[in-house]
Amino acid sequence: MSEPFEPKIVAFVCTYCTYAGADLAGTSRLKYPPNVRIVRLPCTGRISPMFILKAFQKGADGVLVSGCHPGDCHFDHGNYHARRRWTAFNALLQFTGVPEERVKFSWISAAEGIKFAELIESITEEIRTAGPFEQYHKLIAETGSAASV
Amino acid sequence: MSIQEQYRSRAKELLREGTVKMVIGYGAGTTPLRRRPIFITSPDDADRLVLDAACRTNLAGYLLREGLLADQKSVAVFLTPDGVRTINILAAESQLATEQVIVLGFQIDGENARQLEGTRVADFSGIIAERKKKRKEQPSHEVARKLEQMTSVERFSFWEGEFSRCIKCYACRAACPMCWCRRCVVDNNQPQWVNTSSHTLGNLEWNLVRAFHLAGRCVECGNCSEACPVNIPLHLLNRRMTEEVLTAFDYYPGADEHQEPVLASFRKDDPETFIL
Repeated sequence: MSEPFEPKIVAFVCTYCTYAGADLAGTSRLKYPPNVRIVRLPCTGRISPMFILKAFQKGADGVLVSGCHPGDCHFDHGNYHARRRWTAFNALLQFTGVPEERVKFSWISAAEGIKFAELIESITEEIRTAGPFEQYHKLIAETGSAASV
Repeated sequence: MSIQEQYRSRAKELLREGTVKMVIGYGAGTTPLRRRPIFITSPDDADRLVLDAACRTNLAGYLLREGLLADQKSVAVFLTPDGVRTINILAAESQLATEQVIVLGFQIDGENARQLEGTRVADFSGIIAERKKKRKEQPSHEVARKLEQMTSVERFSFWEGEFSRCIKCYACRAACPMCWCRRCVVDNNQPQWVNTSSHTLGNLEWNLVRAFHLAGRCVECGNCSEACPVNIPLHLLNRRMTEEVLTAFDYYPGADEHQEPVLASFRKDDPETFIL
């Protein structure tokens, strides 16, 4: 019998806000699903759309991109640049048929441990309901490389 | 005097008085409906120039050929208003100096080529502002509208079908006047972002990256779709990006040579409807 589906989610987060928020969730002993793999980056401005494509290429079922609230960026305006980039890239992804629930964007500050835990909970549930990203996995299988995260 | 004759004598004049060292224009192609770019350096050759409704390629990209503008001399180019916008973007991205570009402006109206007044890119700012207004009112492409109504699964299947034909020849990249990177991200192998084989996965990734890198830079000249040997509707992706930056940021690429690139600038009140 096959095992029940557990979504693989990759979260690209900035170290100053969302990563600290995730840390707070941990130290506060908040429980959230273990389906998320966190990749810590210096700033959301450092998060290239290539990262999102790479995560899917390696078999992720969902991707979360998260950083400081507007105005809170450690580097003053990295997240403003990131926001423009996501607006364009998000539109492109949806236009090419990557479902909305597969890629999520959020602002989570270092104080928002609860928001982090709740968000991971909700997107994990959403993707669990949607099931594996079959259409993408089929393309990965065609290349002959096994998907793994 | 026909417009073609007029432009031939203008080209001849520019070369004879030494204002420009080269004229980049259209010449006869292999079939009656084809035109090919020609590069004229002697006034005697100006009679090879052709100008009519079949001249649809955006020639602006040829200005970036290695070393062409390095000697500070000027070059004249046949350009439509979209071609002029291309020059503006390239100047804003520090790829060329507009002082070195003489514009031989024209526009195609149905079956005829029409003359446009002006010799420098700045002379065309009025026309470009008009085009921005028109672009805002232009409805999205018929196929794009159909796609928007589909479910994401159907949309994905549509593009999967289109991209499965891609042979990764990169003709779209070679034809695009905006693809001036010396080393393209897909040629990188450390890390290898995009699969090199022409499996549908790598093709999808390449085409997404290409479209994204043209967001707010594409002038919709159509060189890429024209160059694609397997007829992938690349213009649909580009148009979607153009519409996105126009509606979200009121940004129309190539308005003038000092316009900041859309993804290298921001406003604090940019819209963010999708961020949780």
